[in-house]
Amino acid sequence: MTTTVQAVPKWTPTALDRLWGRDPDLRPALRRGLLGTPGLLFILVFFLYPLFLLVELSFQAKAGGWSSEHYLRIFNTTVYAQIIWKTAWISATVTLLNFLVAYPFAVALARSKGWVRIVLLISILMPFWTNLLVRAYGWIVVLHPRGLINTMLGGLGLIGEPVAIVHNTTGVLIGMTQIMLPYMVLPIAAQIEKMDGRLLQAARSLGASPLRTFAHVFFPLTLPGVFAGALMVFVLSLGFFVIPALLGGRRDILIAQLIHFNLTKVLNWELAAALSTILLVITLGIFLAAQRWFRLNSLWSEVK
Amino acid sequence: MEEDKMGTIERHVLANRRTVIKGLGAGAFALAAPAILRSAQAQSKEVVYATWGGSWEDAMRKVWFDPFAQQTGIKVKTIQGPDYGKIRAMVRAGKTEWDVVEVNPDFQWVGPREGLLEKLDFNIIKTEDLIKGEELITEYSVPGGFWSRVLVYNTKKFPTGSHPKSFVEFWDVKKFPGKRVLYAKANGGALEAALLADGVHRDKLYPLDVDRALKSLDKIKDHVLWYETNAQAVQYMQDELGVLALMSDGRAKFAIEKGAPIAIEFQDSQLTWTSLIVPKNPPNKENAMRLINHMSSVEGQRLIGNEFTYGLVTPKAYALLPPGRADALTNGPKQQGKTILMNERWWGDNQPSVQDKMNAWRLL
Repeated sequence: MTTTVQAVPKWTPTALDRLWGRDPDLRPALRRGLLGTPGLLFILVFFLYPLFLLVELSFQAKAGGWSSEHYLRIFNTTVYAQIIWKTAWISATVTLLNFLVAYPFAVALARSKGWVRIVLLISILMPFWTNLLVRAYGWIVVLHPRGLINTMLGGLGLIGEPVAIVHNTTGVLIGMTQIMLPYMVLPIAAQIEKMDGRLLQAARSLGASPLRTFAHVFFPLTLPGVFAGALMVFVLSLGFFVIPALLGGRRDILIAQLIHFNLTKVLNWELAAALSTILLVITLGIFLAAQRWFRLNSLWSEVK
Repeated sequence: MEEDKMGTIERHVLANRRTVIKGLGAGAFALAAPAILRSAQAQSKEVVYATWGGSWEDAMRKVWFDPFAQQTGIKVKTIQGPDYGKIRAMVRAGKTEWDVVEVNPDFQWVGPREGLLEKLDFNIIKTEDLIKGEELITEYSVPGGFWSRVLVYNTKKFPTGSHPKSFVEFWDVKKFPGKRVLYAKANGGALEAALLADGVHRDKLYPLDVDRALKSLDKIKDHVLWYETNAQAVQYMQDELGVLALMSDGRAKFAIEKGAPIAIEFQDSQLTWTSLIVPKNPPNKENAMRLINHMSSVEGQRLIGNEFTYGLVTPKAYALLPPGRADALTNGPKQQGKTILMNERWWGDNQPSVQDKMNAWRLL
């Protein structure tokens, strides 16, 4: 017995189908797009438009009309380049210090349970919720030449003279590292929690030492978290302002302080806008590079 | 007057909190708006004064604002944090909310350049008793009060009498060892002090030779603690981390009252002032002029002289104070003849480029 299989005519979506999202190929994308619309509109109106105005302002001459005079001034005055470099250097150092402190903490957090976990979480989030000024002055109390640390070290006879750990770059690094800690700890901890524990068991059962398991299995699997954290810490550090002013010394001038000065003291908003635009371009550059090389996306997608 | 209040940064951060509170206020305003708008159409019975706040505001409220409201029926509403940036933003947006603002005097030159200030109405504001000086009274501003930066020393290290009496001695780290406390912003007095230390005559400071000043600062740069906010200066001296300072007189007097082991040397103190200005297109222009006149009258100055330590802007009012009171004020008898008037006009013109130079020097 033979049956003829009748060919089912292939359904081709009309333009209307497409519009309503009935095209099976387009549906998920469109739905996602619709869900994203309010957020997108919000960003467009309250973020991208002001950002556009900022860039526009940076190209306005003080005397009126268009000009690149502010950029020329920035590029022709060494002090601006020095301060931008200093800002990048401090941010990079804060990022590295953060990684060193945050990584073990994130492991402990991800592996802890019950009240230990709550205590760990609170210890990292409490300071996060505390006013920046209060924290800055708190650090002064701790790091002061007659503060907690110096008194303790002196009392133990470890130091003769108080060590200078505040009102210099060391103070800035300590203060900023602590403030940025949650941004590094949380992505790494999240990454550890979604890790498939069987991979570690497999490595161990195949004879890998704990150290080798860590280096070849555990650590690589946490890398997306590390990169995401590092990027956030670095980018946010670029805009720091209160901490360097209060905990820093003569040499600690960061770009945000220059922007603030031009914005509120001498009212050169055009120059402030140019400095902000440069900061923005640097940030975007770093973000794109990170995206390209470290596949940042894998942080918020399933493990492939 | 910024000098005697919170530091810029503290204000900046606290202001954000206030914005939230203001947001809540705005909700209440929306509910009450119809009533408020009706009364505004009828006759403005309000004037908005932007101040550095704190105990200074309390004093003004007591001797100026409340009596002014009683006499004229015009209520004075105060706003804390008279930020130049906010003035520019409000004026450019065409929504000026402030009528009178107390600012540092450089702004009486920066403001008009940016088209942000209203000319004062000298038919309402009487100037005949005001202290004279073309820098002090301009088309756009009158002085609101004087304050100064003074040489402060630790009395345990250097008992009065054997303390540094000039900036030449302030710079002498061998004779007077210890950290010096100086303001990190360019117009915070450190450059003027550096030139005095280098032998420039006090009458020949301006235009400042910035390069020479920075060379002079080089000589003590490892002996300096820089402050970014006035609160820091007090803290350094109270904690005895610094042994000498150039800091605001109001802060120094306050610290002495609180028992800090410090004293003031008035020689070569830097005298400056606070300016009263009116931003362009204020909501209650006439009331603004009337309030300024009320504050800068001889009687107004006599009253504030009893209440606060800023120097008076009508010289006549000093004679009306109780005996001895004048000594507590800036530019009182003990300080007379020892002050150098800051050239705020020069600073209004040169602050950006000098700050660049000073930043470059700081990074070295």
